[in-house]
Amino acid sequence: MSTRALPQSKEALLKSYRTRLKDDVKSMLENFEEIIKLAKGEHDTQLSRLTQCEQDTYEMHVRSANIVRAGESLMKLVSDIKQYLILNDFPSVNEAITQNSKLFRTKQAECDQKLMSLRDDMAADLYDLEEEYYSSINKM
Amino acid sequence: MAFNGVNISVEAPIENQIQEITYDGVEIYQPPLTLSESLAKYAQKIDFSKTEADLKCEDTLDDSKSDSDSKEAFQSSLWPWDNVRNKLRNAFQEICVLADVLAVAKDKKYMVLDPVPQEPLETKTMVQIFARKKALAGAADVLLAGVEKLKTSQNEAARNRTTPDFHIELLRLRQNWRLKKVSNTIIGDLSYRTAGSKYLQTGTFEVTKAEEDEKSSSPPSSPGGVPPIKPSSALKVSIPSELQGVAYIEVLCQKDQEDLCSANINLLGSGAPSSNPDMHWQQKLEAAQNVLFCKELFNQLAKEAVELQAPIPHMVVGNQIMATVLPGIQLIIALRHSTTADKKLEKPAPSKSEHDHVLEHSLHQLLREVHHKNTHHPFPHPATGPLGPSKKRMMAGPMAADRYELLEMTKQEKLLEQIVKQAQHFIMRMRTEYVLDTIAKEFKDPLISSHWNTLNSPTQSCVKINISTHGYDAVCRTPLVIHVGEKSLKCICRDGKVMNMSYEPQELRDLIFCHINQHQILAIQALAKTMGWQSLGNSNHLGSGPVEPLGNAASCLLVSPTGDRIIAVRCEPQASGLQVSVAHSPRTDFFPSRLVTERKWEHLGGQFRDVRLDKMEGKNFLHKMELLMASLTSNS
Repeated sequence: MSTRALPQSKEALLKSYRTRLKDDVKSMLENFEEIIKLAKGEHDTQLSRLTQCEQDTYEMHVRSANIVRAGESLMKLVSDIKQYLILNDFPSVNEAITQNSKLFRTKQAECDQKLMSLRDDMAADLYDLEEEYYSSINKM
Repeated sequence: MAFNGVNISVEAPIENQIQEITYDGVEIYQPPLTLSESLAKYAQKIDFSKTEADLKCEDTLDDSKSDSDSKEAFQSSLWPWDNVRNKLRNAFQEICVLADVLAVAKDKKYMVLDPVPQEPLETKTMVQIFARKKALAGAADVLLAGVEKLKTSQNEAARNRTTPDFHIELLRLRQNWRLKKVSNTIIGDLSYRTAGSKYLQTGTFEVTKAEEDEKSSSPPSSPGGVPPIKPSSALKVSIPSELQGVAYIEVLCQKDQEDLCSANINLLGSGAPSSNPDMHWQQKLEAAQNVLFCKELFNQLAKEAVELQAPIPHMVVGNQIMATVLPGIQLIIALRHSTTADKKLEKPAPSKSEHDHVLEHSLHQLLREVHHKNTHHPFPHPATGPLGPSKKRMMAGPMAADRYELLEMTKQEKLLEQIVKQAQHFIMRMRTEYVLDTIAKEFKDPLISSHWNTLNSPTQSCVKINISTHGYDAVCRTPLVIHVGEKSLKCICRDGKVMNMSYEPQELRDLIFCHINQHQILAIQALAKTMGWQSLGNSNHLGSGPVEPLGNAASCLLVSPTGDRIIAVRCEPQASGLQVSVAHSPRTDFFPSRLVTERKWEHLGGQFRDVRLDKMEGKNFLHKMELLMASLTSNS
C-alpha cells in the first residue's frame, strides 16, 4: 500500500492523522510538564500569594482537563483510523469479495447439481407416472 | 499700532486679487471675501501654541490673589475670563491623562492596577503547600474522572460482546456493500451500477452509528413486554424513502377478464416484515436493493412497451403494462411497491392464483443478462478499439457489411419482446397440455400417452405422444412428436411428415384424431398379420361413404387364411366411428337361384354384414378384432 502513490487528498488525510497524533501526545506531555512546574511554585510575581494560588489551582485544572481531552481525542483518532482503514482497505475488500464470490459459486454449483439430480429423478419418475396415468382407466 | 500724533489709517487695497488674465486681456478678479471667510482667514493666522506660552507668563502676572511677585503689571489682562479659562484648561488636561492611564490599565498588557500593600503580607509556606496540594488533588481528580470515563466505555464495549462493535459491523458492511466516506458521513451504494446497470436512480444510503438513547429508552418498556432477545446492532443504515418497503413485479396472463395464470415474484419470498424498523441492516439493504431492481426492471419494460411497435399496441397505465400475447390473452406486468401499511391489504389478492413464479423469474433473469452484457464484452477486443460492439460488428468493417446488415446487427431483442415470447410459449404449452389431456380422457380405446421432455428452453419444449392399444403395444404404436414453440406447433408424424400448426388448439385436436384413426387401421393390419390373415388393401383416405366433417375415413380389408372370410373395417375420424363388417365368401349353405346358378360364384364374395362391436366381448377394439378373427378362423 505504501508503494502505491496515494491521491493528494488521501495523503493529506493521512498526514492530518499523524499530526493529530503528535499534537495530542505533545499536548498531554506539555500539560503534564506545566502542572509539574506549577507544583514547584517557583515563580515570583507581583501578585499576592493568595491570588497566585488561586490562579495555579485554576491552571492545573484546566491543564488536567486538557490532558483528558487529548486522551479522548486519541480515542477518537483511533476510531477514525479504524474507519479509514475499513473503508479504504481495498485489498482486504477484494479478498472478501473473491471469497464471497467463491462461496456463492460453490453454492451455485451445488444447487445446480442438486437441481439437476432432482430434475433427472423427477423426469424418470414423471415418465413412469405418465405411463401409468395414461394407461389407466381412471383418468381425471 | 497706535501712535500718538498723526492717525494713519491703513486699509487693504481696494482691488481684488487677479485670479486669471484671459488671452484677450480681460482680468478676472477673485470675488471679495465675505465676512465669515475673512474671519476664518484671520483665525488661521493665529498660532495657538505660541499664544499659550505667552499667556502662561501673562497668567502669573494676572493672578493678583495667589501671586505675590507680580512685577509686570503693565499688560493687564485683555480678557476678564482668562483666569477661569486657564483653570478649566488645566483640569481638562489632567482628566485626559487619567483617561489614558485607565485605558492602558484596562488592557492589562503594560500596566496592572494593584492595591498598594500596606505591608508585605507574609503568608506561611505551609498554607502555600496546602493550596498547591489541593490544586494538584483537583487536577488529579479531573484526570481520574477522565480515565474512569474511558475505562467504563471500554468495559461497556467489552461486556456486551453480544452487540458487535461498530467497527466490526462496519467491516462486515464494507465486505458486502460499497461504502465511501464523504466528509463526515459514510455513504453506501446499493445500486447495480457496478454490475452493469445503467439505471439513473441512485441507490445511496447513509451509515450512522446507532444512538445509545434507543437502548436506554427500551429498558423501561421491557419489564412489561418481552425483553429484546437480540440487541440492536451498533450500526444504522438510513435508506431513502423511495426505496423503502417491499416491491415485486406481478405478472398475470389474463384471458379477457379472467386470469389464466398469475404469478407474483417477490425476491424476498414470504415478504420480509418491512414494518419492523429495527430490521437488521443486511435485510434492510437487500430489500431496498430489490426495490431498486424492480423499479429498474419496470422502467425498462415500460420504456420498451412505449417504443415497440406491436400490431396491438402495448399499454402502459400507471404501474401496469399490458401486452397482448395471443388473441384474447393479455400479459399484465405490474410493479407492486408496498410500504408498510398497505402490505397486508394486498396480500390476499395474489393468493387466489396458484402459480409458479417462472415468468417473474425469467424477467429478473433477463434484466440480469442485460446487466451482464453491459459489463462483459465479447473477446477479443482490441486495446485501441471501443468497448461494446459485438464481435460480429467488429468484423463488419473488414467484411464490408452493407447498411442493411449493420441495421440488422443493431437490432436486439428487447426485454418485453422476450417476455412476451415466453408468455406465448407458456400459453401454448398450457393449451397443448390441455388438449392432450382431454383427448386422453375422451379416448379410452387407443391409449394416448404423452411424455413431456425434460430438456426445454423458455421458448421451446417438446412432447412425445404415443398412441397404442392396451395389451397390444408390441403390435403397433404410433409415435408423434410435437414441438411447442412461441406461436406455433410443429408435429413430426410417424412417417416423418412435418405438420405445422398455428396457436389454435383445435388444429392439434384434429390432427390427433386423424392419427387415432390411422393408428386403428394400422394396428388392425398388424394384428391381422400376426393372426395369419391377409390384408387385401387399405386406404387412409377413403373416397366412398358419407363426407366426413374432418379429414377422410380410412379403411382396410382383411381376408382369413383360408380366404373364405373377409373383414372390412372403416374408421371415421369422428368420435369412435368404427365400423366392422364381415363377409363369408363361400357360404356354407348354397341354394342355386336364377342368377347364381353355380356354387363357384359364391367365391366372389358375399354380402357384408355389420358386426355390432358394442355387443362383442373384449377389452378394446383390437381385442375384439382378435377374437373376431380367431372365431372366424376356427369356424372354417
